[in-house]
Amino acid sequence: MTKEEVDRKWWEIGDFFRRNSLWMLMYCTGCCAIELPPAMTSAYDMERLGMGPMATPRQADVLLVTGYLSLKTLRRLIYTYEQMSEPKYVVGFGSCTINGGIYHDSHAVINQLDQYIPVDTYVAGCMPNTEAVMNGFIDLMELIKTKKADGWKRYHENYEWYKKNQLDSLGSIEVKDEFHE
Amino acid sequence: MNSVEFARELVESKFQVLKTEVVDQYQISFEVTRDDVHRLLSMLKQAGWIQLSYLSAIDWLEDNEFELVYIVMNWDKALHIQVRTRIDREHPEMDSVLSIFPGCKYYERECHEFFGVKFPGNPDFEKQLILEEWDDIPPLRKDFDPRAYSDAHFAKREYEDRHTVLNNQSSKQKQREARKERITTIGKGGRK
Repeated sequence: MTKEEVDRKWWEIGDFFRRNSLWMLMYCTGCCAIELPPAMTSAYDMERLGMGPMATPRQADVLLVTGYLSLKTLRRLIYTYEQMSEPKYVVGFGSCTINGGIYHDSHAVINQLDQYIPVDTYVAGCMPNTEAVMNGFIDLMELIKTKKADGWKRYHENYEWYKKNQLDSLGSIEVKDEFHE
Repeated sequence: MNSVEFARELVESKFQVLKTEVVDQYQISFEVTRDDVHRLLSMLKQAGWIQLSYLSAIDWLEDNEFELVYIVMNWDKALHIQVRTRIDREHPEMDSVLSIFPGCKYYERECHEFFGVKFPGNPDFEKQLILEEWDDIPPLRKDFDPRAYSDAHFAKREYEDRHTVLNNQSSKQKQREARKERITTIGKGGRK
């Protein structure tokens, strides 16, 4: 076997284990986060899919962007996303991450999440059903299986483009606040 | 004597109140002149209204004035008192009430950020609090157009424009085009 084929095999094995034990980082940005407690607890029981909560971005696989993102949060979100180790996946919840939702004309809330970081799966709705949320996770697993969840690769390839969009909207990405000076 | 009457008598006997409004049995509002605010607030504090619950502004664009609202709360009597005052809109400036209510520090910063009211006496009223690196006029002023700002700063998802107008309803297409044109003329900013 050539090196590429060996690598591919290893990736397939890795993806098999990864998709069956996804650790999610809940960076609860907006109101869709309220759909996560029923998804995690006994009503829908996310653990049966092998998903569990993780406290730090360094050890998490999935970033859940639950709802609208204000500019202030987006700065922290980009930090968090870049801290995560690869491969990393992003799930965008609700219509706010898709096209701005009810905050489409707000001065403080961005309209389209995939301009700033790549998104693998969207869960539509305002807010989405818990069934839809669970279905979104299963979709993500399917995408990992078919190697289509390549948002982190796209982030590498189009890094300049993403950075330009981030700078256009944010001015600067550095987090400068008085509590972390 | 209930607490509304008590507060009314207390304030109206000592200050020239421009307008009194009893909202309900738990809320009363007094409008006073700008110079009376500090004396009134310190008197209220001594009378038991020890907590500044909120401080914000209202933008009266037609009158060219800002209205500042101080809401103080009493832990013994169930009565919120609003102290309102009008200040000039062109050069909005109000002396800080930091010496009376130290908790006003963050409210004044918020008010400066969203309305542009200056609070001399508060050492860091100009520090950013919620909006980071804001580059336009204060966003809660009435002459700020949040939609124009949003359209100029944040990418919009493009959708195919396929729709039919039913029941002789007026089409909003012209409105949309006018707005788009206005945004391109004002460039990057939210001024109306």
